[in-house]
Amino acid sequence: MAEKNLPKINPIDRPFWQGAAEGKFMLQHCRTCGKLQFFPRAVCTGCFSAELDWTAARGEGKVHSFTWVFVPRNPAFKGEVPICYANVLLDESVIVESRIVGKGVEEIKLGDRVRVVFQDTSDPQIKLPVFELAGRS
Amino acid sequence: MRRKKVCFVGYGSTEYSRKSEEPLLRHYARAIGAALEQTGLKKTDIGGFSVTTQSSPDYSPHVAEQLGLELDWVLNGDYGGAGGVMSIRRAADAIEAGHIDVAVLVGGNSFDKSVTHQRPLEYQRANYVDVYGYGGPNTLMALVQRRHMEQYGTTLEQIGRIAVAQRESARANPQALLREPMTMDDYLKSRMISDPIRLFDCVMPCSGAECVVLASEERARTITDKLVYLLTDAERVHYQVGDMLPDKTTFGIKVVADRLFKEVRREEIDLFEIYDDYPIAVLIQIEDLGYCKKGDGGKFVESRNLSFKGDFPVNTGGGQLSVGQAGLAGGFLHIVEALRQLRGEAGPRQAKKAERALVTGIGWLSYGRNLGTTAGLVMERRS
Repeated sequence: MAEKNLPKINPIDRPFWQGAAEGKFMLQHCRTCGKLQFFPRAVCTGCFSAELDWTAARGEGKVHSFTWVFVPRNPAFKGEVPICYANVLLDESVIVESRIVGKGVEEIKLGDRVRVVFQDTSDPQIKLPVFELAGRS
Repeated sequence: MRRKKVCFVGYGSTEYSRKSEEPLLRHYARAIGAALEQTGLKKTDIGGFSVTTQSSPDYSPHVAEQLGLELDWVLNGDYGGAGGVMSIRRAADAIEAGHIDVAVLVGGNSFDKSVTHQRPLEYQRANYVDVYGYGGPNTLMALVQRRHMEQYGTTLEQIGRIAVAQRESARANPQALLREPMTMDDYLKSRMISDPIRLFDCVMPCSGAECVVLASEERARTITDKLVYLLTDAERVHYQVGDMLPDKTTFGIKVVADRLFKEVRREEIDLFEIYDDYPIAVLIQIEDLGYCKKGDGGKFVESRNLSFKGDFPVNTGGGQLSVGQAGLAGGFLHIVEALRQLRGEAGPRQAKKAERALVTGIGWLSYGRNLGTTAGLVMERRS
C-alpha cells in the first residue's frame, strides 16, 4: 500500500518545516541583498550569499493558476482525486506551488484570494501548508 | 586547432578544510563569488556555466537552478580528472562560436550529505511538489495551459488543432505508433489527466532511438551530396529563474528566437519541428518565436494549415504526440525529421518546400515557472 509523500527534511529547509509545524509559512530572506525566495535553497539566487535568514509570510495570496489532477504520480493520492493543485502568488510577490482544499474549491477561479492552512500528516512532527479560499476578490 | 579569441580572465577559490559539511552549493557559490569579485563581472554577465560532476544526471542544470543562474550555455563536466581541462575546451568552443562571452567553470567537493546538493531536483520535488499529490509534468504543463487560456482567451479547440494536424501528418509516417485518424471531437473527449490537459495532449512513452551525425564541411562533402548546414543555434537555461513572479506563458524560446533570427529571417523558414511534449507548448513556442504576438497563438494556429501539406508545417512526421516518445530520443526526433525533409527523404509526407527548418528542444519543467532548458537551431540545405 503506497503512502502519501512526506518531505525529507534537510538542514537547508528545516526552518521552513519548523515554521509550518508552528502555523507559519516561512520564506528565505537574503541578509545581503534583501531578496525573498521560495523554495528554500543553500544560497540566495540573487547574489550567491549564504547569509540567509527566515521571515514569516502573511500566508495570503491569490490563485495564479490551477489544475485538477486526475492521475497523481503517487497512487496513495488516488482516493482524493481530482486534486486541486495550484500556483499561488503570495502577497509578498513570491510564487509557490501548493494544493487548494476546503469549502468552495470546486468553484475556484484564477485571481481568487486564498489563505494558508496547515494539515496534519502521518508524522505528528510535520504539518503540510495548503491553501483554502478566503472569499472572492 | 589554434584558438584565436579565447582568454582566461580570472579565478576564484574557497578555503579548504578537512571535512566540511557545509552544502557543496555554498562552496560553489563562494568560489564563483570570489572570481566575480576579482574580475568585476556581475552574476548576470555569466553566459555559460559548467560544473564537474560524477553524480546524478542533469547535474549542471540543477546546480545552476539552485544558484539562480539564467544562462545561454550549460555543461556537465563529467569527465573524471580531465573535467577541468575538458570543460575549458568546450567553453572555448562556445566562446569562439559566439554563443557566449563569459563562461564560469566550477568544480568542488563537500562531505555534506544533505539532499540539496546530492540530488537537488529530487529535493525540490520531494519536499515541495510530491507532497501535494501532483501528477508529474502533466500537472505542471496544465498550470501553464490554464494560465494561457485564461489570460489570452485561448480555446481547447485552438490547442487541439495542433494535435489533430500532427496526427494527419503522422498518418503518412510509418514510424508513427499512433496513425489512426483523430478528429477534434476525439481530442476534446479524450480522458482528463490534469485538467485542462487531456490524454491526447500527452505523449505516449515508447521504445526506440534516434541518432544524428555531424561533420566538418570538408568531410561532409566526402560523405554526401545532400549537404545540410547548421545555420545558427542558441539556448536559454532557466529563463526567469531569479524572478519570483515569472510570466508562466513565455518560455526561454523567446530569447533563443532573438538570437536565431539575427542570422536568418523568420519568413525564410519552411518547416517547424517544434518540441511537442504538449500541444500548448507548441502554441506558446510559435508565439515566442515571433510568428504572432504573445497571446495570439490560438488565432494563429486557427488561421494556418499545420500539416506537412500546409502553409505553416509543424512537426511534419506527427511529432512525439503521434510518433510516441522514446525517452530522451524525443529531443532528436525533431532533428531527424527535419533532416529527412531537407534531404527530400520524407516519402509520402514530403513537404513541398524544404530548404530551411527550425528545430526546438525544451525540457526540465521547473518550480513555479515553466521550462528550465530551451534551445533551438536552424538548418539549411545547400546543393
